[in-house]
Amino acid sequence: MLPDSVAIRKAAQEAAAELTRRPIKEGQRLVSSGLIDSLSVLRLIALLERKLQVTIPPETLQPEDFDDLDLIVATVKRVAKPAI
Amino acid sequence: MQPRGAYTVITHAEFCQRLRQGLQSNTDKILLRVVMSPQLDAPIEFTGRELLGRAEQFAANCSLQRDREVVLLLLPHSPELFLMELGLVLEGHIPAILAWPTSRVDAEKYQRNLVHQLCQLPADRLITLPRLAANLEGSLPYPVTSLALENSEVFEKQFPANRVSEQLKIEVLPERHSSPAADTLFLQFSGGTTGAQKAIVVTATMLTEQLTQLGDALRFSGGDGIASWLPLYHDMGLIACYWMPLWYGATSIQLAANDWVINPQLLLEYISRYHATICWLPNFAFSYLSQRREQTQQAHSLESVRAWINCSEPVRSRSVKEFRTAFVDRGVRPENLQSCYAMAETVFAITQSHLGRELRTVARSEMNHGSGSYTELPFDVIDDVYVSSGTALANTEIKIVGVDGQPCGDAICGEIHVRTPSLFSGYWGADGFQTHSLRDGWHATGDYGFQRDGELFVIGRLKDIVIVGGNNIFPEDVEAIVNTVDGIYPGRVVAFGVEDPEYGTQSLGVVAEMKGEFHEEAAQELEDAIRKLVLSTIGTAARYVAVVPQRWIVKSTAGKISRRETRERFVREMVASV
Repeated sequence: MLPDSVAIRKAAQEAAAELTRRPIKEGQRLVSSGLIDSLSVLRLIALLERKLQVTIPPETLQPEDFDDLDLIVATVKRVAKPAI
Repeated sequence: MQPRGAYTVITHAEFCQRLRQGLQSNTDKILLRVVMSPQLDAPIEFTGRELLGRAEQFAANCSLQRDREVVLLLLPHSPELFLMELGLVLEGHIPAILAWPTSRVDAEKYQRNLVHQLCQLPADRLITLPRLAANLEGSLPYPVTSLALENSEVFEKQFPANRVSEQLKIEVLPERHSSPAADTLFLQFSGGTTGAQKAIVVTATMLTEQLTQLGDALRFSGGDGIASWLPLYHDMGLIACYWMPLWYGATSIQLAANDWVINPQLLLEYISRYHATICWLPNFAFSYLSQRREQTQQAHSLESVRAWINCSEPVRSRSVKEFRTAFVDRGVRPENLQSCYAMAETVFAITQSHLGRELRTVARSEMNHGSGSYTELPFDVIDDVYVSSGTALANTEIKIVGVDGQPCGDAICGEIHVRTPSLFSGYWGADGFQTHSLRDGWHATGDYGFQRDGELFVIGRLKDIVIVGGNNIFPEDVEAIVNTVDGIYPGRVVAFGVEDPEYGTQSLGVVAEMKGEFHEEAAQELEDAIRKLVLSTIGTAARYVAVVPQRWIVKSTAGKISRRETRERFVREMVASV
């Protein structure tokens, strides 16, 4: 079963904070602000996959899809599949 | 083999004639595939004949007003960019490809910075997408031509329709003192970001010599296939992955860097689908691909690749081993992992490792770093061995020079100097064409390394250049940008590279002192402002940004800021402690 929005948001907040070493606020831009670079987006995806026990296939994704917590929740809900 | 030093001078007309013949002879063979998101499964294909016809048509449609215009191309990854580069060369103009921004930069800051940069370049024209052309028109001292792509609006969505000229004082273009040589084909940028962009003039002789010698070393032929995600504004993307296959009638498949970063297995998929034989990658990409190995659901066979060439960053043994281990079951063999030492100043390659043989290594403990100040340099070499970049191409000479200016013996470290017919003779910059001072034809590269048994081992940069994912970033550029941030103590900014062992590359770090009394909250706001500004002007995110109290930055005993010691303090206190 896929995690709900609340769980995704919590995981996203933790993962982004882990990567940036600072608390992440609602609406805070991650990629367009330079807080997370392109390569780190994949680190973020890997952390989300581990925390949520899902796989996030990267086809058709762009770094902008992970630019803030709302976008991360929407992206994960759109593309995530349960981990095998 | 040709005797060392002998080479043929080739004119622009001769080069173009041979290129045309080559393209015409590949009437029905597909030479170029361009993958465009979101149609990742259906690359746009061009046969040799189509390439020639479309490229010439594109260039002709630009209605350039005079002969041999220097044309800046500011376009995203697209078939049109590949066609324009080729078409302008064939039509006798001089294209120069600028880096297209990632779609996440701050549009206003990016455009203002762009105008500043472009005003420093004595070009005759800029070709870019319609909205950007409208925004920039009137701000530049030369005409801007608008070129609509099939999906221009996708690329332009981050640019609001807002003329830059309303906000910016128009700068006066420096008078052009001289022109590039008559046999100039195109320009390629060597780096530099904030108005200090320097373009290298590539002539027909330089390019032909490079393609011939590198082709011989790789036994390159029309039967080869190249798979690339490297952008055309990078020498590896432009020369190795575009001009090389064009010249030999081989096929290349070109992905956008953005698509590859988020979906690295795309490259493997296309290698497998089109049986690519050669793949050039910067060192970090080997680590990056290895770490995404488990994400590659389908077992793409990589057996067709005869050379995976690690280039543009110092080769790390760890990255090579990770890649070999991760993909051994897909057909990657140790003897197919190759390396190359290259730079835009020599068009591209200086060395190439030996095909079919595993890369040689030398234990760090065996090395003699020579005498003098070079031993003080901070090289974060994370491996216990140095990896060979191969031997010099035919017609290319390498010598290692010590701090005393004398050539070093075998296995002694010093600065790498190079001499080759592909070597540039000057930069095309703010003052027109400026001849570069070469001593007896030798170019001091600013790289540090040694030779052993004829093979070159590159350790790092003598100059403070940060290499992030194969891109050169000058710390001085970053410092100049950050110095403009309100609230930062002017002149008290230091930028540097921090080793990223996970991806086998460097990350960009910036330390800046706060003006006045230090407050945590204000420091964090300033850090955010710095990150945003660096990303929108340099195009690379600074992974580490720290705003610190006054007197945090380390000065030398002479009272000058010490980049090395500041970096060491930063790594010790703010990176290693995490």
